[in-house]
Amino acid sequence: MTNQLNAKLKHWSSWFVMLFCVVALMIFGTQRDSGPATPQERIESISKRLACPTCDGESVYESRGGASQAIRKEIARQVADGQLTDSQIVKAIDESYSADLKLVPGSTGFDALIWALPIAVLVVSVAGLVVAFRRWKVQGSITATDADRELVEIAMQEMSDQRDS
Amino acid sequence: MLAVSINAAIGRGAILLGLLTCLSGIAITVAGIRKRDLRALRSTTRYAYVAFAAALLAFIMMERALITRDFSLKYVQQVGSRDTPALFNVTALWSALEGSILMWVLVLTGFIAAVARKFRARAGDELLAWAMVVLFAVGLFFFMLSFGPANPFAMGALGVNDGPGPNPLLQNHILVLFHPPILYIGYVGFTVPFAFAIAALITGRVGEGWLLETRRWTLYSWAFLTVGIILGSWWSYEVLGWSGVWAWDPVENASFLPWLTGTAYLHSVLVQERRGMLRVWNLSLVIATFSLTILGTFLTRSGVINSVHAFSEGSVGPWLLAFFTIIVVVAIVLIGRRGDQLRSPGAIDSPISREGAFLANNVVFSVFAFVVLLGTVFPLLVEALNDRRIVVGEPFFNRMTMPLGLTLLFLMAVAPVLPWRKASQEVLRDRLFWPAWCGVGALAVSVFVGADGWASLAAFALGGFATGAALRQIVLASRRQGWRGVVGRANGGMVVHIGVIIIAVALSASSSYTRTQEFVMKVGETVTFAGHTFTFEGLSLESDNVKTSVMAAVRIDGEQVYSPARSKYVKQGMDIGTPSVKTGFVNDLYVTLEGNVRPSDTEARIKIYVKPLILWLWIGGALMAIGTVLAAFPGKRRQPTAPVSADTPMNRPDVAEHV
Repeated sequence: MTNQLNAKLKHWSSWFVMLFCVVALMIFGTQRDSGPATPQERIESISKRLACPTCDGESVYESRGGASQAIRKEIARQVADGQLTDSQIVKAIDESYSADLKLVPGSTGFDALIWALPIAVLVVSVAGLVVAFRRWKVQGSITATDADRELVEIAMQEMSDQRDS
Repeated sequence: MLAVSINAAIGRGAILLGLLTCLSGIAITVAGIRKRDLRALRSTTRYAYVAFAAALLAFIMMERALITRDFSLKYVQQVGSRDTPALFNVTALWSALEGSILMWVLVLTGFIAAVARKFRARAGDELLAWAMVVLFAVGLFFFMLSFGPANPFAMGALGVNDGPGPNPLLQNHILVLFHPPILYIGYVGFTVPFAFAIAALITGRVGEGWLLETRRWTLYSWAFLTVGIILGSWWSYEVLGWSGVWAWDPVENASFLPWLTGTAYLHSVLVQERRGMLRVWNLSLVIATFSLTILGTFLTRSGVINSVHAFSEGSVGPWLLAFFTIIVVVAIVLIGRRGDQLRSPGAIDSPISREGAFLANNVVFSVFAFVVLLGTVFPLLVEALNDRRIVVGEPFFNRMTMPLGLTLLFLMAVAPVLPWRKASQEVLRDRLFWPAWCGVGALAVSVFVGADGWASLAAFALGGFATGAALRQIVLASRRQGWRGVVGRANGGMVVHIGVIIIAVALSASSSYTRTQEFVMKVGETVTFAGHTFTFEGLSLESDNVKTSVMAAVRIDGEQVYSPARSKYVKQGMDIGTPSVKTGFVNDLYVTLEGNVRPSDTEARIKIYVKPLILWLWIGGALMAIGTVLAAFPGKRRQPTAPVSADTPMNRPDVAEHV
């Protein structure tokens, strides 16, 4: 009885119900995604996109240094001003320093390689897998010989004897 | 003055002894292999013990120098101080380059001695003998580093009677005692499978033997590396004051890279053990894992990359780069030489199978490792080729690794239910049903409690899905095998999976739903934030010879008082903020004191972070460690002739009767 119920539950139609639930929940959840809720959270979000100009590889968000504090103040001022978008604030602060402060490399020129190379590696790896599976499919047509079957028979018989005894 | 010469003389003598012992170990073992001299091969165990004893002696002498404040040594002048508390005086040994290389030598020789002891009864086995040669060669390299460019016993300037002590970040939390040594055990432990892999290539015994010999060594090294990384995150959270656990810093990446390739190896090795396939791939992964430990050490110890962790820079860069190059060239040559033997006769029947899932997992882990490596070295490439300085930070890594992480969660959900060789649609439908509903349940709960953002929701849903699959495996195994249902590689592995899932969900929640607010508070003022009240009760001063700390008293929810502080380290002149954390199962309340403050101030800038599920990161890490130990226990032995796949519906009586 339990098995039958289980089999009925696991029918493909239940999977469609499941898919519907997932899509509905995802739409509901993503629709209310409002980004940073408060000016403070907007400041935090922007400060994560800028490098501290005087530290070793830290972002303005992570760094407790004086230069980072100054940048955080400037971000806070710009956010309070309400004139610029987050990206415009990042650009403005980046341009006011001689060093490159953006923590996200650009998508043009040499910097584009950092975005393109991982995708290229992924594509090549997946293509390699596809080629390998095709080759294995051809190899897979090899059938067992009589000797192979005999070995399996013997092994299965031994296992059966062990179980009986 | 006599004590001064004792520390330096004995320490340096011990390093020289270790160096010569490794050299002799290589010579005697190679000679023993050539002449088939069993006595010579048996003697390698003694060489291994002597090398370990030499490293231990050098380590003890260095600790003695630090504890007795032997300022005749340059290293003690750099990291020692008369005022440093005893605990941090001991940990100062690994707070800079020379000492950390000495610790590497100690851990490495410990592994060499352990391998020699474990396999002493089989000293005549050529595979083991060559593995010992490789281990001695790696030991020789690190003894050479310690004797030459990273000499911890070099004499310092005359007349120095005190030093600055370790970097302030390395003397304000007890985790400094645990995180580096545990991480090093993981890091260095991968030398053992590497040595056996090279030995297998040299001897031509490239079958499954070397894998089985090193299975537990690899597993334990991986576990130590995992725990080391988790402890590092904890340390970062408790010490750095920005409330984060992971910043994609080059040093963090250097430890994460071998973890990624090591994890890929732990999965793909199952395919070789079961099907005799992927030999080249597994050898490559083991070699890559070890090479990445050396490359990571080069990147972070040579000064080529800036990092908040860069406590140590020195002249070891060219040595490490040369060693890395030698490893890669030797490995490629050996793999090329054994090309024919490494071809496996088998075939993977279908991508929808356990081995197919492992292959997919390996592709994702490899791309993940590539992204992390590229992001870490890209600033170097840009500077070398374009003469520009750029910083690649958290936003890049998060954007690139998030889809890979989600894919791994999906594979964690699907792979455990897949049979070997081939899975039918019916099998998938049957076995994935309840795990998939777990995923839907997790998604529904997340939406109900207010989660948003597609990436986080996907992480929670896939986390639920993968947890369902892991629990299904544990429940089925426990029904069949009783208490053994949680031990053995497959079942212990599921416990590890649950730990990983918990960490993934906690990371996703803490990075997406952290709420922050900074308040300028007057003494006695109470603010409400995220449903909690925070009362600023005043500032106080604590001062000793090492630092002067201004501490804020912040009462949370009218209960306990928490004390974030800002400390000025007297000798280094560094200003360090120390957070105070109220830990909870749902949220951590992380409080920091911002800006320059004086104890006489009547107001202070208090920053509050509400960070969800942080405690679960550490719980997940503990589960991963426990799962690894369970996985190392032998599970129920499978009959060699027992079917490797579970019944397909066609074989089940309840289905067959309808056909």
